[in-house]
Amino acid sequence: MKNRFSVKIVGESGQGINLMGEVLSKAFLELGYYVFGYREYPSLIKGGSASYQLDISAQNINSSFKSSNVIIGLSRIALSQYLSDISDGGLIVHNVVKFQKSEAENHILKSKNASEEFIDTNSLLDKLNLNYRYANTFLVSLIWARLGFDVEILQEIFKEYFKERDDILENNLTCINLGFEEGSNQSLVEHGLDKPEKKANLEIMTGNEAIARSAIACGVRAFYAYPMTPASSILEYLANNAINTGMIVKQAEDEITAAQMTLGSMFMGTRAMTATSGGGFDLMTETISLAGMTETPFVCVLAQRPGPATGLPTWTQAGDLNLAIFAGHGEFPRCVLACSDLESCHRLTQQAFNIAEYFQIPVIVLTEKHIAESYFTKDTNFENLPIIRNLVEGKALEKLSPNDRYQFTDSGVSKRWVIGASKATFLANSDEHSEDGSVTEDASLAQQMYEKRMKKYTGLLKVIPEPTLFGKTSGEFLLIGWGSVKLSVLDAINFADKNVSYLHLEVLHPLDIAKLSNIMGRFKKYIAIEQNYLGQMSKILEMELKISFTDKWLKYDGRPFFVDEVIKYINKL
Amino acid sequence: MCNGCKVKYSDYYSDNIYTWCTNCGNYAIHQALKRSLVKLKIPPYQVLLCFDIGCHGNGADKIGGYRFHGLHGRVIPFAVGAHLANHKMPVIAFGGDGGTLDEGINHLIHAVRSNYNITFILHNNGNFGLTKGQVTPTSPKGLAMNSNPFGLIEDQINVCKFLLNLEPSFVARTFSGNIHQMERVFVDAITHKGFSFVEILQACPTYNKVNTHEKIYSKVYDVDELDDYDPQNLSQALKVSSDLDNKIATGVLYFNKTKKDFYSRLPQRLNRNKALIDEVKNY
Ligand SMILES: Cc1ncc(C[n+]2csc(CCOP(=O)(O)OP(=O)(O)O)c2C)c(N)n1
Repeated sequence: MKNRFSVKIVGESGQGINLMGEVLSKAFLELGYYVFGYREYPSLIKGGSASYQLDISAQNINSSFKSSNVIIGLSRIALSQYLSDISDGGLIVHNVVKFQKSEAENHILKSKNASEEFIDTNSLLDKLNLNYRYANTFLVSLIWARLGFDVEILQEIFKEYFKERDDILENNLTCINLGFEEGSNQSLVEHGLDKPEKKANLEIMTGNEAIARSAIACGVRAFYAYPMTPASSILEYLANNAINTGMIVKQAEDEITAAQMTLGSMFMGTRAMTATSGGGFDLMTETISLAGMTETPFVCVLAQRPGPATGLPTWTQAGDLNLAIFAGHGEFPRCVLACSDLESCHRLTQQAFNIAEYFQIPVIVLTEKHIAESYFTKDTNFENLPIIRNLVEGKALEKLSPNDRYQFTDSGVSKRWVIGASKATFLANSDEHSEDGSVTEDASLAQQMYEKRMKKYTGLLKVIPEPTLFGKTSGEFLLIGWGSVKLSVLDAINFADKNVSYLHLEVLHPLDIAKLSNIMGRFKKYIAIEQNYLGQMSKILEMELKISFTDKWLKYDGRPFFVDEVIKYINKL
Repeated sequence: MCNGCKVKYSDYYSDNIYTWCTNCGNYAIHQALKRSLVKLKIPPYQVLLCFDIGCHGNGADKIGGYRFHGLHGRVIPFAVGAHLANHKMPVIAFGGDGGTLDEGINHLIHAVRSNYNITFILHNNGNFGLTKGQVTPTSPKGLAMNSNPFGLIEDQINVCKFLLNLEPSFVARTFSGNIHQMERVFVDAITHKGFSFVEILQACPTYNKVNTHEKIYSKVYDVDELDDYDPQNLSQALKVSSDLDNKIATGVLYFNKTKKDFYSRLPQRLNRNKALIDEVKNY
């Protein structure tokens, strides 16, 4: 494929696969390339096979190919798992002693015209009296040489990485030099990439880091969570930065606690956040209902992985849409937003807080393992949204009365103020209540209060981000998706021969039916692409818009949509 | 707590009519609570009262103050979140023995361990009141109630003894029949910096026919009456707290002033004077 190239490092968890992936990514960024880093790893600490794939291009890319042009193999098990991922004419370099290929493996290599080369890193490292674990650096440097790049770039990145570990740095530099020398004696690997313009300030970042940074920037002052993949790295990032930010970052005793603490802090008048995956979110649902009833702003990041139960903890899926939309007993207004890339992780986190505070409702921000833990290239600084809190402040606080808190209004939104800021005290009541929060069982008052809450949907629909249409504004086929689907579909459209458009939904609840009908009405056939079995988004669209889909491409094997399979799919349409 | 504030008992008055049973211990608890807040010069707008779901929680709209009436068993983590957002405002949480020791016992244990600076008041009436008379972990073994018509076959939890084993920061026990003692204990608990746990042995005239007001009254004594009682001595506290059958110790059973509260331990909050509520836009 023109203008894209991919390198996959495979081995066992614990063999330094991630480190090599990161180092190599940074080396490419240094040259001005964009990279997209996709990690596969099992839910265990050591052993099993893991991979880090880097897709590289001179243009911005946000997806992975299923196949790799170069595979660097560090273990037999990993090689057997990933050998079939080699692309036509690709190269596998490995250090597996006495690598006996099965008949099937031989057949794959032959049919793909791929080559396999063994490098005896053990003897080389023995000579240097170095631990075998340095094989990774050696092989990475060898490939770097064969791609025709400068060794200094790699050296500088290692120097930065290990600036406080002199001994480790020295050993790595030895391996880099040796690997580079070895690689320079071998044939060049044609990457076929355009020469990129050199850009300043390119960095790699995961979706979770974008969410965490965005939260810091929009005034989140407390974060409560219980670790769960793939949400945990938000907790980790915020905890690592807590001294600088002053944010209270607390690992709670469970997700029920995390959710309640978040709600308590928001109620008091600061901004607080929690993040979890499906299992933890299940435990939070009663709190989301409580947020709905007491009209307390609440923001939760729901980082999806394949379920049910413990499922595939370290793999990707988008199967918790129904959960996010329907979780919690009773009826109450809420908003469900779905991230797809760094920019949306940044923007939607901040928008979630603005919506939650303005409308005094729970907002759920969906992400997926594929977004949360993949490494994107960031080339611009994202602008921070203005902070909208909708709090009564200043002199107006003196004029408040307790009934203002849940006062009936046309918009359904009543006044809210920081606890302690006014002499007008009130009760926030999980029981049905009147305007000052006092309990009521009166039929008409109960109905009126119920309607007041639900009315917020009208205003909400006016401020939520609109669905984005990519490609032509009318035509035959309209692909529709949400979440990480956007990443590979947009990259694929650039390569496919067919003229298709893609409609991306960022707000999954509430849906702006009129806008959606307007956009969709200009196309003849709808195709849903979703990372779940039921086609949860498409089912909701069918229900709300009374339409039907020509096809639904649903994937639920824990892997993301790869760009090569999307291209194939589009070209077959 | 409030310099120059004039706080009157009537400031905590509410127009709503009480819905508790005649002779319910909750009336006296409300009275003692208001008296302690007045004594501490805390006006209603400078305190957050958090209620669990249960009979006591039905009093949430019958008293003044900023108030939150949340979910069954979850009052502690909510109150903790509120406290951390504004550590300058006193936060008092209330729960029943059912909600606290069944549904939310993990929260209680962790609150003691984390030593958040809030006060938690346990309305221990030995049963579920609001759902009409079922057993709780503090019901005596053998007691026959709605859900256990043949008598409870499980052992009883002695809450104070249990918590004292966690090396807590403040543990007190009091009795809904003694407003003066409750007031004094509440004042101590609210003033104490750290997680202050107060158990109230509470009469439930409708469902608890075993531990009645009269029976509790005949058994309780104040540890202040003991000649050599040192509330800073954990083993002594453990010893006196054990007896729930014959002589029941009440008063401030134990406190430890050397334990720092959670917020004060946070390295990221050292040298920061503002509360989180004042930092959203100014961060
Ligand atoms: C999750 C949940 N489960 C059950 C209930 C029903 N419920 C309401 S109050 C209560 C028991 C109250 O007993 P306790 O906490 O001892 O308080 P009391 O009424 O005795 O003051 C129960 C089980 C509920 N509200 N929420």
